Amino acid sequence: MFYYVPNPQEAALSVQTITYHVPFGGFIRNLHYWAAQLLLIVSAIHLLRVVFTAAYGHPRRFNYLLGLGLFILAILLDFTGYILRWDVDICYPLLTGTNLLKTIPLIGDFFFRIAVGGGEACSTGLLRFYVWHIFGLTLPIIILIAWHAFRVRRDGGIAVPPPQLRTDNTRISRNVLVRREVLTMFIVSIVLVLMASFLPAPIAPAMTENPSIAANARAPWFFLWVQQMLKWGDPFIFGVLIPFGLLVLLALIPYIFPKPVDSDIGKWFPKSNRLAQIVVSVIALIVIALTLLSLIPA
Amino acid sequence: MKKILTLASGLLLLTLVFAWWLNSREPKPVKLIPTLSGQPEYCITCHADVPEISASHPVVTFGCVSCHGGERLALDEDLAHSTMRGGANPSDLSVVEASCGGSNCHSGSEADDRHHIQRVMTSVQSTYAGAIANIRYTFGAQTDLNAHYGINAITDDQTKTDITSLFAFDPASETNPSIQKFGENCLTCHINATPREGETYDRQTGCAACHSTEQHTLATAIPYTQCNACHNRGNYDLRTMTFTERTDHPTQRIDDYYQPIAQFTQCEYTLDCVDCHTRSEVMGDGDLHASQKDIQYVTCKTCHGTLTELPLTKTLTNPNDIAFRMSFLNPIVDLKPGDTIIVTENGEPLWNTRVLSDGTYEMIGKATSQYFTFKPVIGSSCTQSGQDQSSAYCHECHAVER
Amino acid sequence: MSEISRRDFLKLARDGFLYLSGALTLGGLLRFLDYDPNPAPTTEFDLGPALNYPLNSRTLLSAPQAVLLHTENGFSALSLICTHLGCTVEQKTDGFTCPCHGSRFGSNGTVTNGPAEKPLQSLRVEVTDEGNLKLFTA
Repeated sequence: MFYYVPNPQEAALSVQTITYHVPFGGFIRNLHYWAAQLLLIVSAIHLLRVVFTAAYGHPRRFNYLLGLGLFILAILLDFTGYILRWDVDICYPLLTGTNLLKTIPLIGDFFFRIAVGGGEACSTGLLRFYVWHIFGLTLPIIILIAWHAFRVRRDGGIAVPPPQLRTDNTRISRNVLVRREVLTMFIVSIVLVLMASFLPAPIAPAMTENPSIAANARAPWFFLWVQQMLKWGDPFIFGVLIPFGLLVLLALIPYIFPKPVDSDIGKWFPKSNRLAQIVVSVIALIVIALTLLSLIPA
Repeated sequence: MKKILTLASGLLLLTLVFAWWLNSREPKPVKLIPTLSGQPEYCITCHADVPEISASHPVVTFGCVSCHGGERLALDEDLAHSTMRGGANPSDLSVVEASCGGSNCHSGSEADDRHHIQRVMTSVQSTYAGAIANIRYTFGAQTDLNAHYGINAITDDQTKTDITSLFAFDPASETNPSIQKFGENCLTCHINATPREGETYDRQTGCAACHSTEQHTLATAIPYTQCNACHNRGNYDLRTMTFTERTDHPTQRIDDYYQPIAQFTQCEYTLDCVDCHTRSEVMGDGDLHASQKDIQYVTCKTCHGTLTELPLTKTLTNPNDIAFRMSFLNPIVDLKPGDTIIVTENGEPLWNTRVLSDGTYEMIGKATSQYFTFKPVIGSSCTQSGQDQSSAYCHECHAVER
Repeated sequence: MSEISRRDFLKLARDGFLYLSGALTLGGLLRFLDYDPNPAPTTEFDLGPALNYPLNSRTLLSAPQAVLLHTENGFSALSLICTHLGCTVEQKTDGFTCPCHGSRFGSNGTVTNGPAEKPLQSLRVEVTDEGNLKLFTA
């Protein structure tokens, strides 16, 4: 952050300066990149776990929504961070991703102006995406993380059936819980340091005026499933409506779907919320399948 | 639990130390700030052993990136080389304007004679217009010998030859099989093209085809061996549209140079091509031409005169005369204002010649620095006829075989 | 009008004030973000002398992203911006393809395949009095 320059002429060069010349700059950048990608994967796994253990039921329904909000913020932070590279590979993802906003009827242009700042995304969008990344999305995510963690505690900790229905009454002590979390932090840190040492974050030459120089028109990995769907037709339906619909569906699980019975809370793959488990599994499999499909060369 | 935590924290420390150690093993970046651009480049971190390319292009002034392109800050091979122009040869004609061009460099004004790139791009050595026109005319694809096609499409807004543009020659869209075969077999010897396989044909493309005598070297003293990568390599057969390499194995200059089927004089065996053939003959005069014979004009008469005329000369008075610029670039003579040199019929200076006080002339070989003196035809026992001034006529007596 | 205790009324008022304040803040924030300081992009491009573009030529332009056509009917231009989501289409032997989602267009810009539905936009070209070409993207 102390070295990145958020204007279109110098951004990619400042990334190269960080990567090759700032002491440990390359290491820190790799760490930041891999931590971000792992965050998305771990969050997705966490979402699946919550659904598979029926842990979203009352009183945790609001916290489930907070979690979904965090997931969306994490995806947006990953996307805005990816754009900040301002190299040859990001222009088309930026252009198509922001043009998707314009397809929304009535308020599309308004959303485009809020997100990108108007103008042409690949010329003028850098500064605004920079501020979203370091402040506009970061502030809400910090607030939501704190709130989400607070709600876990307020809702009675990790999801288990209410006391009268519990079959297993053992609870680990606070100290043991903290020690386990600290151990997890150590292990994850070791993995991330090793990844950052051996696997460089993507880097490419600076974006030029002529976007067709970039033969790579591939979306970032977490949006490949959307790119695949967009090959089928109308951008609003496949790029906005369906992804947003999936989000709404996920958000409605604690409210519309058959509610899990109290004795099932916390158990793996209980019977009472089977429908929710199936729906979420199918959605996950479809997203994975679409991602793999998009990787097949045309 | 405490033991596991201690172990894990120990492992964490180990990985961090490992990361620190890995970082210390990276090569230390070596910075170069060329005076022309003022922007730091790090190419010599890995490429410190590349020699200076020429006295006119010192690396402290130009750096590497202004000619080669590439990512100046990158220390990773793939990224650093990804935006290089023309691979290892930035003078390839597809990228030469970005590499060698610019109004301060080799795309300057015509008045200053600094429009080298425009001249080369329109020259016959680049466009191959004459060969293409002749083949198409011979096999009926066009009804005249005017040039319509070149290797690449090119336009000339200010032409003095009535040829304003050439289309790109596309052998695949020709219908006559001989013309198609011409396209397949005979287009490897223009400076846009990669040469044929084989050590004898080894050369670069673009400006480097002539000016690069060794790896990463630019020279103005170009020996005949450079020209021989394309010229004098064999014979072509119009009927079969094939090229037959010469089979003799020359061992000396007199055998090396030309094939034993033709007749040439002592000058032609001893001097280098560049000693006679002028800049506009080889690099073009800035206009599109239909044929080699429109641009090649130097003959025996240029240096030796005729029975009734001395060769044209000029006394250099203007210190900005291009002859001084050229002798500066290849300092084999100490040319000074007041010296009289031979000039061609078109006014091009043969700056490596001088008129001596006794009426004879001296020449210094541009590539060899060999010293020659020669006499004009006037006053000799030459039996030249006044009408026939073609070089072939001089060869009748002066060819070496005789 | 049913009875409402003072406490409940004050609570209602307080909540009402807070929600309105929130709405005002959010609205102000959104208006703050909804501003474009950038100059409007150029819509008129000078292409130089018309003589540079001979009859039957198709010239690929880089600024703007378009291809200039010179036919017997005069000058016209085809935008190379894909009508699906805005990527620049690539010229092929028989038309154009878009690298982003696979849309394909014929040489005259009509959709031959792919998620795009509208043909490539035709752009207006005018010849000035001095014989120069001007291209309009709007």
